[in-house]
Amino acid sequence: MRDVAFASIDELDSALAQASYLADRGLATALYLSLKLEKPLLLEGEAGVGKTEAAKAIAAAAGSPLIRLQCYEGLDIAHAVYEWNYARQLLHIRAAQAGTVDEAELFGPEFLIRRPVLEAIESEQRVLLLIDEIDRADEEFEAFLLEVLSDFQVTVPELGTISAKQRPYVILTSNRTRELHDALKRRCLYHWIGHPSVEREIEIVELRVPGVPQRLAEQAARFAAELRSLDLQKPPGLAETIDWVRALTALGQQELDVENVQATLGSLLKYHEDLLAIRDDALAGLVGTVRG
Amino acid sequence: MRWPGSSAPCVAEHRPHAVVRHVVVFGRVLREGGLEVGPQRVSDALRALDSVELARQEDVYWALRQTLVSRRDDLDTFDRAFAAWFLRVSDRPPEREADEPRRPGARRKGGAPGPGPELDGGELEVGAWSADELLRTRDFAAMSPAELARARVLIRQIALARPLRRTHRLRRDRRRGALDVRALVRSSLSTGGDPVHRAYRSRSSAPRKLVLLLDISGSMEPYARALLLYLHAARGSGRGVETFAFGTRLTRLTSELGLRDSDEALAAAARRVVDWSGGTRIGESLKAYNDEWGRRALTRGAVVVILSDGCERGDATGIATEMARLAHQAFAVVWVNPLKGHPDYQPLAGGMRAAFPYVDRLLSGHDIASLERLGTVIGGIERRHAA
Repeated sequence: MRDVAFASIDELDSALAQASYLADRGLATALYLSLKLEKPLLLEGEAGVGKTEAAKAIAAAAGSPLIRLQCYEGLDIAHAVYEWNYARQLLHIRAAQAGTVDEAELFGPEFLIRRPVLEAIESEQRVLLLIDEIDRADEEFEAFLLEVLSDFQVTVPELGTISAKQRPYVILTSNRTRELHDALKRRCLYHWIGHPSVEREIEIVELRVPGVPQRLAEQAARFAAELRSLDLQKPPGLAETIDWVRALTALGQQELDVENVQATLGSLLKYHEDLLAIRDDALAGLVGTVRG
Repeated sequence: MRWPGSSAPCVAEHRPHAVVRHVVVFGRVLREGGLEVGPQRVSDALRALDSVELARQEDVYWALRQTLVSRRDDLDTFDRAFAAWFLRVSDRPPEREADEPRRPGARRKGGAPGPGPELDGGELEVGAWSADELLRTRDFAAMSPAELARARVLIRQIALARPLRRTHRLRRDRRRGALDVRALVRSSLSTGGDPVHRAYRSRSSAPRKLVLLLDISGSMEPYARALLLYLHAARGSGRGVETFAFGTRLTRLTSELGLRDSDEALAAAARRVVDWSGGTRIGESLKAYNDEWGRRALTRGAVVVILSDGCERGDATGIATEMARLAHQAFAVVWVNPLKGHPDYQPLAGGMRAAFPYVDRLLSGHDIASLERLGTVIGGIERRHAA
């Protein structure tokens, strides 16, 4: 990857568009500043607004390999940073003559399994490290991450400290199931991604679903926007709209009507209560509105 | 904790002086608005402004927002401040009432029941255990200011147990669990690769999440202060505790009550909450909670405690719907109703009756003894309803 990836926000914006990602000005600015200032970027937003996609797109646009760490409750160093290959170690001891194996040999780099964080730090070229859904990880892990993000080095007791050859770019995403620690936030730029405007959503749908009829894309985006203005348990995100339009396109539909919406609504609304609320008259009314 | 504006280390020589001053003062405006803006952030903001075109107002907006704000809740404040400061919009938000200095000795009716003079009577010489014992079973509503001050010390000491959940993480275990291959390899070194000593790891436990929702409407006024103190004590009991207050709207108080000093915490909470001692909309507040926080899986697997008298001005059917949603996701739902402390109490209030089917345990919360009991109940609670 080039040293300074993009000369301006506009340049980054068009590179993202080539990677099939349409970012609004705010997100483009956030990504640009994150690369330029070499600060991790924390992306927050409702589920399905394209946080993870943004990271993938910027990695593609900048020509950096993407290394992804999916967080979950109980995620520990062994799964995030490194682990020893115990099976190989045992085999090695058995294969060698008794008394000829010493510890230094057994805990050498060839027995080390590299997990995402170590992989990102050891990489020869500059990579993008995506730490996905950090809010799901335990707070202990967050504290550890804080250490990694400030020094970009990892200590393996048996091997010593490994420092980054190329400081990786870092993007963190969070669904806000809990507030992250202030110290971590202080290290990051912060951007909140909202739902896209209807016009933007039409553009994105047309970009992501090749061969979609234009009328269908327009009506679907308006339909999704209408649903978001209603009082639903889980309003559809952009990802749901794209899935839905894919389904409709696969069925060869040219525009929305009551039947095809009824048949495919399950890819847009994921709660039984929401599906119950949007049926019969309510559904017909919405279809009528977006068909204008 | 003031930091020197003009002499901050972030001020670089080559930057136009006006920009630096603007950003530094703007940072201070945001601090007054309650945002945490330290020198590091201001320095980042200046570096970010170096990287964008200053002529493009939109870019300046994003650059400042992304470096100076790190919480969604603060975005509104930032937007108002940005409009006022950089766009010269004159309609600054009216000063909040709670920010005004309070005259000593006078507590406005309906004002925020923060640590007002009634509680600020200083440490009282109530040393006798018997006095404390009496106080434990005295209704909060009937307490004198002096007694409340003492009660406050007692509430702070209430230990709060929480039920445990099994964690994913494995810890060393002497007898059972999965084989700890790492330890096995190490010990095999000395025996030529023969695994003689076996070590195990098993799952351990961690406390469940705890969510506390406190009703601070008018009818709860006699209890609100004491229960808010309890929320503060609970918040300080460990990780994974979330606290909210509601009257006509829902306010998250987790970070305010996270302040260690209870006076500061209560004052911060009082500033945050705008609907003290007003009406009650339990159904809508629960809905706001479910929409905003339940959807993001805060409720899942948590013990949810609602502290309210269940007196609903609005429609009680809303409560039933939202309680069903809540109970569906939570590990257990506990309702604490101070009115239950009265011997002839029946859950007849509309809201309480609607909520009743979804509540795992209904407890009183009118005195210290009942709050102590609450801690024990939470610690031992089991899941009643089907998953």
